[in-house]
Amino acid sequence: MKIERFDLIVVGAGPSGLSAAIEAAKHGMKVVVFDENARPGGQLFKQIHKFFGSKEHKAKIRGFHIGEQLLKEADDAGVKVELNATVAGLYQDREVVVRMGDEVHHFKGDAIIIATGAAENMVLFDGWTLPGVMGAGAAQTLMNLYGVKPGERILMLGSGNVGLVVSYQLLQAGCQVVALVDAAPKIGGYGVHAAKVARTGVPFYLSHTIKKAEGTDHVTGVTIAEVDNHFQFIPGTDKHFDVDTICVAVGLSPMSQLLKMAGCKMEDNPKRGGQVPIIGEYGETSVPGIFSAGDVSGIEEASSAMIEGRMSGAVAAEYLGYITKEEKEEILAKLKASLGSLREGMFAPKNRGKDIKETEEGIPISTNLLHKGYVLDSEIERFPGVTHKKGVHPVIECTQNIPCNPCQDACTRHCIKIGSHITALPAVDETADCINCGMCVASCPGQAIFLVNEDAGDRKAEITLPYEFLPLPETGMKGTALGRDGQPLCDAEVTRVRSSKAFDGTNLLTISVPAEFAMKARFFKAAAQA
Amino acid sequence: MNELSNRSRDIGEFIPQPDDDMIVCRCEEVTKGEIRKAVHEGLWTIAEIRRYLRCGMGLCQGQTCAKLVKGIVARELKVSPALLEPATSRSPMRPVEMHVFAKETEDTDL
Repeated sequence: MKIERFDLIVVGAGPSGLSAAIEAAKHGMKVVVFDENARPGGQLFKQIHKFFGSKEHKAKIRGFHIGEQLLKEADDAGVKVELNATVAGLYQDREVVVRMGDEVHHFKGDAIIIATGAAENMVLFDGWTLPGVMGAGAAQTLMNLYGVKPGERILMLGSGNVGLVVSYQLLQAGCQVVALVDAAPKIGGYGVHAAKVARTGVPFYLSHTIKKAEGTDHVTGVTIAEVDNHFQFIPGTDKHFDVDTICVAVGLSPMSQLLKMAGCKMEDNPKRGGQVPIIGEYGETSVPGIFSAGDVSGIEEASSAMIEGRMSGAVAAEYLGYITKEEKEEILAKLKASLGSLREGMFAPKNRGKDIKETEEGIPISTNLLHKGYVLDSEIERFPGVTHKKGVHPVIECTQNIPCNPCQDACTRHCIKIGSHITALPAVDETADCINCGMCVASCPGQAIFLVNEDAGDRKAEITLPYEFLPLPETGMKGTALGRDGQPLCDAEVTRVRSSKAFDGTNLLTISVPAEFAMKARFFKAAAQA
Repeated sequence: MNELSNRSRDIGEFIPQPDDDMIVCRCEEVTKGEIRKAVHEGLWTIAEIRRYLRCGMGLCQGQTCAKLVKGIVARELKVSPALLEPATSRSPMRPVEMHVFAKETEDTDL
């Protein structure tokens, strides 16, 4: 039996695993990454949306582009990535058994980083085993990796960021999302993600869950019903939808089995998503030389996973003497600050389960946003991104404190201010002059920025909105303007369509509507083709 | 002694429920009723339930049902799911055909 030795063996070529490998290899370590999938990148390559955060977190870059960057970096650093390589076991003295092709191979790592990620949770309901019921992540894989439409008419269960983002992507793929359902009384994900789904007309049913998936050999329908505070169905509240697909986005569970097998101390931590290793600040497990990074030690965003990976890579490098303690401390201090800013705001891990009623600025949160997915016309004016002035000006409908600030950098005229505190709500400076360049609209990962000219002449207003659907409407096209609630408001005409490399796939659609709808119209639906 | 190790604790009778025939472990086709019944027959740990019913021992190795089974067992025992020790992690972590392992003996340079 042959055993090949590496300084570092990383299990999992997702955002955290690749980041860990890059960091370690940069310090001269001989690194190999094993991944059971045929493609590297973990879930990154199916993330077609722009990421949140700040520049250092690769904000406003689409997930799959971040994946491409990571792969190139790994390649440049000399990291060996083995695909279709399934780690079957992790044994004493850090021996790793990997199935590659039709053979089992043995490796030994002086250090091991486990970055195996997480798997989707399921929920039981009558008919849950019918074909057509699938994880939201599975639907995303079908669409975004394989170009296969998961279904035509879809019900989404789960209003966390996964449920919201995948719902939007299903709409982009041309599917109909008939309802977004969650047993919780409030939407779990970012309000801006909910708002971009709601304004296309998808109804939200909070405090509802699936009672039954119908069909004999595949899903043909679904019945949902309202639940009380104890998650018991309330009689007489059934609602039926004809659907061919039910997507389930009810959270993720860490795939931490390898760590448990290696003898790392584990705990059941609901805040981290389930069975996780007990780790130090930088992913050190209870077994010397074994580290963990990313979702496997607690469910978070890919942006945090990448930083955690860098951290554990640096710690492993110091553990094996490739860098000094001082060098490690210097690297970690920077990463720690970066990770700290991502863990701020209303959705921070420390705030999970808390009932937050006000923003950091003391502004009451829109309750309608939490229940229906959109901010009411009567609520929107109280947020600092919503101002009025003559001529074109940005209207920023960003109403929750999330760690994100690309809009501030996008505006070269300094119309948009967030400041150094990354979770602060963006405020519009009315004294600065907007030049209608559109960069803020395109750079907002939450698609929450609109350029509004409340008086464009002839009693009309013009609204420029982010548009990421096909077919792209053309100038002169007539249709209907929809409100934040996705309901038809008035006739609208497309007056300008802008696409540019700098907008990175977000098209800017300018529509003309009667002036009274300037602060109401937020989406455009082309008239049906005759 | 905690709520789990005290096996003389009375957890009540097995009361049939309308959704007892719902499949929980798809790979091994184990129903909710079978799991609930097993608890009342005295199998109080995830390891025992697995050995008795094979749930979580199929192709996906419990990736889908482990949390669901834990929830059902915990509810029957009237304890928090966090109290239940998850199944032992063993190699192979993912299903590997025997012929792949069998090949190992062919090149023993040790």
